[in-house]
Amino acid sequence: MSEIEQLKRRLERERRARKAAEAIAEEKTREIYETNIRLQQLNSRLEELVRQRTVELAAARDEAVRASQAKSDFLASMSHELRTPLNAIIGYSEILLEETDELGQPAIRSDLEKIRGAGKHLLGLINDVLDLSKIEAGRMEIFPEMFAVADMLAEVRATIEPLVAKNGNRLVVEAAADLGEMCSDQTKIRQNLFNLLSNAAKFTHSGTITLGARRLPAADGDRLEFKVVDTGIGMSDEQLPKLFQAFSQADTSTNRRYGGTGLGLAITRHFCRMLGGEVSVESRPGEGSVFTIVLPAHYREPEAAGHAATGRQGLLLIIDDDRNTRELLEAEFAGRGYRVVQAMGGAEGLRLARQLRPDVITLDIVMPDVDGWSVLRSLKDDPELCGIPVVLVTILGDREMAYALGAAEFVTKPVDPERLADVLARVASSARGEGEILVVDDDVVTREVLRRTLVRQGWRVTEATDGRECLERLGQGRPAAILLDLMMPRMDGFEAIEAIRGQAEWRAIPVVVVTAKDLTREESEWLTRHAEAVFQKGAYERSELIDEVERIMVRRVPV
Amino acid sequence: MKGIVFTEFLEMVEDKFSPELADQILEAAELRSGGVYTAVGTYDHHEMIELVSCLSKKTGIDSAELLRSFGTYMFKRFHILFPDYFNEIESSFDFLSKIENYIHVEVRKLYPEAELPSFVCDTSQPGRLRLTYRSTRPFAALAEGLIRGCVAHYGEAADIEMEDLSDGSGTAARFLLTRRDVPR
Repeated sequence: MSEIEQLKRRLERERRARKAAEAIAEEKTREIYETNIRLQQLNSRLEELVRQRTVELAAARDEAVRASQAKSDFLASMSHELRTPLNAIIGYSEILLEETDELGQPAIRSDLEKIRGAGKHLLGLINDVLDLSKIEAGRMEIFPEMFAVADMLAEVRATIEPLVAKNGNRLVVEAAADLGEMCSDQTKIRQNLFNLLSNAAKFTHSGTITLGARRLPAADGDRLEFKVVDTGIGMSDEQLPKLFQAFSQADTSTNRRYGGTGLGLAITRHFCRMLGGEVSVESRPGEGSVFTIVLPAHYREPEAAGHAATGRQGLLLIIDDDRNTRELLEAEFAGRGYRVVQAMGGAEGLRLARQLRPDVITLDIVMPDVDGWSVLRSLKDDPELCGIPVVLVTILGDREMAYALGAAEFVTKPVDPERLADVLARVASSARGEGEILVVDDDVVTREVLRRTLVRQGWRVTEATDGRECLERLGQGRPAAILLDLMMPRMDGFEAIEAIRGQAEWRAIPVVVVTAKDLTREESEWLTRHAEAVFQKGAYERSELIDEVERIMVRRVPV
Repeated sequence: MKGIVFTEFLEMVEDKFSPELADQILEAAELRSGGVYTAVGTYDHHEMIELVSCLSKKTGIDSAELLRSFGTYMFKRFHILFPDYFNEIESSFDFLSKIENYIHVEVRKLYPEAELPSFVCDTSQPGRLRLTYRSTRPFAALAEGLIRGCVAHYGEAADIEMEDLSDGSGTAARFLLTRRDVPR
């Protein structure tokens, strides 16, 4: 009996223990559930927080982009502001140098040469700063052209030789016989070589500077190697890594002893990379340095990111108010594999151009809402759209105007008197020294320098302070040529050109633009040609238009 | 005190003595829980003291001796119930040095409210381990049993000296283990 009692008690304890365990399990389950809910809430709060932070970061990024834009705008306009007075300093010192010779006052000649030299040095520095700001803003453009490498080297040699000789150095050019041709940005390559050679000259005394060049053939495209070897002071391993960074030289004492901004090599490296190549350096202290540039013989434009065109032939935007013309063009090009989008007027055309980024635009000139000239100018003013080639498709009679809108030539400040003389000799119908030149510039010092330079060459000169005064002067008599500034109050140079070309009796007067403005590729095109090509409605051969568009497309759409 | 200590204790009594004796001590002892224990519950440690004391009266064996035996028994059970904690542990010194910073850390993850004793180890002398036990409860003898169980589990031979640090209450003690089977 007691055994049964004992088992009963034991069973009762076990049962109660089981229930207690179940209660604990239930409580734990509820705890886990509640913890999960709290975790979910925490998670969604965190997600909200991340979203908020993302918005804040985006705002900060936009702000940084704006600040960077403001900085590069500031640098560009400062460079312009600095170049204008420098023009006066260099120009006047050159005039005075000639006058001292004539007046027989050799004593002050060396002083004037110092002023001119310092001015030119300062100009070089400003150009470097502007170059770097353009590179950093992503606005430095490549202008590829075909040229003979040997010819370029000969020019570089002729320019740099006097500088090399200054420190008692000898320049040796070792150019291979098979250099051949190169399709790249000659100006930038030349600037690179000048940078390396003038550095070599600066840091070498009574030594030898060697400029070597050879062609490196390769299956995926030839390359050209340029070497600048000097026997100068050289650099240590610690100095080398910082060498190509902006605002940094081998060490700070270098700046005090040798001058310079420390921008040259940074620009050189940027240029080399933009051209698809690289620059490298080897050096030993006391023995000298070897700088090597390797560039592709044929520059290839990097493929645009997010290119809209998916069709074989790319996207064509037709801007025309005349429905028949649009339909006709669309049928013509759609049949050839182009994707075609139509715009009924200028405003819609601009909107679609911004939205779709077409590969080519065909543009009518006479349209009721916004006319073709305004559309063209808006396209060319927009840094995102200015690269799109525009083919004018217009009515008879506009063709002349379109061509004539361009200027004959342009000259950048500071004006090189010899270049100005050459240009005038080429464009002015009268022989040199006969006739009158109209100088249009709002800056009195620039006008003065130009007037004295021209008078010295035998021209008569009249002056105008802006576009409007220029037109008044034209009303009084026809000059042999007009020297025209671009950035002026009341009426700027662009407007003045349009007005001049609008008058039949002035249309033939050659206009030479003299500008301190740093011209973009688009502005250069605007000034010289204004459009990729011009076709007249009803007068063009269809095949010509098609050829033109295809030529542009082949250039733009990577195969 | 965690319920597993009670359930294991009662199983030991049933095993080593008899189920009748286990029933008798549960009946004789004054227990708030009524002698109902589950491994996942938590109970007043005074109930354990009461149970050991009852067992001592019934058997005539000293309480401390009973706790030591229980400790040795429980170490074997730990190895069966929680083999994962024994992975990659090669010796008793190794195991005992890991109680504070490994085993108790894992226990707290499952039972954040658990009140665990501290085991501070000093292994600065080769072949010797000085282990200091401190608790809010008087179970130094139980700790000693566990230590002996551990040494036996690894098949080692060691002298174990215990020094009471709690004026006989059993809440703190220092154990000095000296391996006999490895050269010093």
